[in-house]
Amino acid sequence: MADGGTRRLAAVDEAAQALGLFEGQKAADAAALVPDLDTAEFDPAADLESLEALADWCVRFSPAVASDAPDGLFLDITGGTRLWGGEAQLAQELEARLDDNGIPARLAIADTPGAAWALARFAPGLCPPDHQAAKLAPLPVAALRLTEADAAQLARLGLRTVGQVMGLPRGPLTRRFGPGVLLRLDQALGRLPQALAYRRPPTPWRQRLAFAEPVSVPEDLARVAADLTGLLCDQLAAGGQGARRFALSYHRLDGKTLTVEAGLALPGRRPKALLRLLIPKLETVDPGFGIESASILAEDVHPLSMTQAQLDPTQAEADAAIAPLIDRLANRLGADRVWRAQPAQSHAPERAVVRREALEGARDEGWDPGRPRPLRLFVRPEPIEALAALPDAAPARFRWRGLWRKVARAEGPERIAQEWWRLAPEQTAVGAVRDYYRVEDEAGGRFWLFRAGLYGGEEAPRWWLHGVFG
Amino acid sequence: MQPRLQTLRRQIAALESEGRAAHGVVPFGDERIDGRLPGRGLARGAWHALTADGLEGETAAAAGSFAALLAKPLTELGAAVWVLRRDDLYAPGLSALGFPAQRLIFVRAGDDAEVLAACEDAARSPGVAVVVGEADSIGLVAGRRLQLACEAHGATALLVERRPFGGKPRTREAAASPSSRWRVASAPSAPDSEGLGLGAPRWSVALERNRGGRPGGWIVEMKEEDHGPYPLRVVAELADHRMAAPDRFAATG
Repeated sequence: MADGGTRRLAAVDEAAQALGLFEGQKAADAAALVPDLDTAEFDPAADLESLEALADWCVRFSPAVASDAPDGLFLDITGGTRLWGGEAQLAQELEARLDDNGIPARLAIADTPGAAWALARFAPGLCPPDHQAAKLAPLPVAALRLTEADAAQLARLGLRTVGQVMGLPRGPLTRRFGPGVLLRLDQALGRLPQALAYRRPPTPWRQRLAFAEPVSVPEDLARVAADLTGLLCDQLAAGGQGARRFALSYHRLDGKTLTVEAGLALPGRRPKALLRLLIPKLETVDPGFGIESASILAEDVHPLSMTQAQLDPTQAEADAAIAPLIDRLANRLGADRVWRAQPAQSHAPERAVVRREALEGARDEGWDPGRPRPLRLFVRPEPIEALAALPDAAPARFRWRGLWRKVARAEGPERIAQEWWRLAPEQTAVGAVRDYYRVEDEAGGRFWLFRAGLYGGEEAPRWWLHGVFG
Repeated sequence: MQPRLQTLRRQIAALESEGRAAHGVVPFGDERIDGRLPGRGLARGAWHALTADGLEGETAAAAGSFAALLAKPLTELGAAVWVLRRDDLYAPGLSALGFPAQRLIFVRAGDDAEVLAACEDAARSPGVAVVVGEADSIGLVAGRRLQLACEAHGATALLVERRPFGGKPRTREAAASPSSRWRVASAPSAPDSEGLGLGAPRWSVALERNRGGRPGGWIVEMKEEDHGPYPLRVVAELADHRMAAPDRFAATG
């Protein structure tokens, strides 16, 4: 690490520590002390990358992993410890696995991220519930994750331990240091919540299986999937819940995690239906040198009885009947490929429809049947040539796709103004007014044309074909 | 003699329906059409094809509209699914045809095979009454599979033959055999009451293939008022020589 031209040590390992080297030491001094010192260039980007990889790996212990750069990881193990037999067992397993991989680590388990951070750095170990205050009190103030300035200030005042800071009256503390110190203290003690950016939200709806011998045969993967879905569905059933999203993860020996997901249109917990959606996706799972453990989790969990509380019982019944079909189609083609159209409050034809999830309660109000609308609406209106007898009249002839058509009948115009409130001021213009005409050619073809812009403006109006009626 | 003749008729009918269980029909409510259809109406638990010529073969607007009108009475019996390849079916337009578009399940598939697989899956699902699919062509095997899927719960499938934009007109190959095949084109509407704008939309439909019945051709008009289950009114019956001349051999199939 270069610091104003002086090269310093950014990090030292245990062996170097034993030789008396320390972080921040001048590289020249260190080289003098230990002539055969092995150094590597400080590379913060690579460090961050490794931390992210480690976070990915930790997913096998809890789906809620948040990386705390430069050197920390938070795991929210709420509700998940039973899978290991308790907090202590989980910590032991995690430490052992990290050690196997040659990663030195300090672990602490506490009620709050703040307390866990402090303990991991200054007094690794388990903190029993609600004992943060006692555990933190003897630690130095640096354990509170303070800014350098705040820490130095506290030190100048002779406050060396967290306990001393805890004992101070809150008012003067805030006046002196601003809200920073108190915020960190309250977060550590659990008086204030702290939001962490987890990969996935922590969930108690989770099951895992670890194998004595790594598995890699496709049949084994399928059997593991069946076992895990069975366990999870039992858990959901016991809680009277159903879930809409499921993620099945295979944790490989080499630290990679492969996840397949399945979604349901209505919350459910039938293992058979779920397996039918998951099994075809197992093809994408490459077991590599073997899979050592697997886990499944449920998201979007709802009480099952509540899903029936729709306004229209017959509609709910009909939805339940086609839910398996929706699931199969959405999982095969993609969730955005299956939808129901609902009216939207917009005059612009292309925005009069919003897509909703297929079973998100169909409403009965439709579109105004009084307005003529084409069966096919082109995503991009197609430019046409049109001849009109009068500037403001419907076209008498128009050419679309190279073919001139004579207009036999026409209806219109229906003026649709641009929704200027959706646009930046410089984008609004008079030319954005559209006059729509419904016309029928001599053969009976019915088309939806519009003229963009007004006569007498800066630019001549142009004609477009926006859709075709049947 | 008479009983023997009746037995023979029943045997022929059984052969023609290939032993499938009857799921009933939805009658058009006009003798001129119903009289030509076996069972006097559009057969449920079967699939029907809709096709069009020229540019219509790409936009499938007239065929799509006619499919929506055929599907409308069936939406009261269960869910309706429309499997698309292009994302241009406009719900307000369906609504304007009287179709309950807000309840329709839209599905977008990537290619013909996916469309047909989705149609088959939907037709096989209990709770689905009608499936509309848009595909370029349907092969013999896919057609047979679709028919079996329709028979499972009496769902009706309407297959709108539609080629991709800019695609070449299809060469006729060994195509699947639907229960009926309709060639649909827009027809000029009658002027509205003031004589200015467009009247109710009209289509010229030719029933080219009709298993167990006779082919025919009609000009039909959309009709809002109650007039049988279909919101259609027959304006005129077309003489045989005006029907789909290039495809006459199919009419006998």
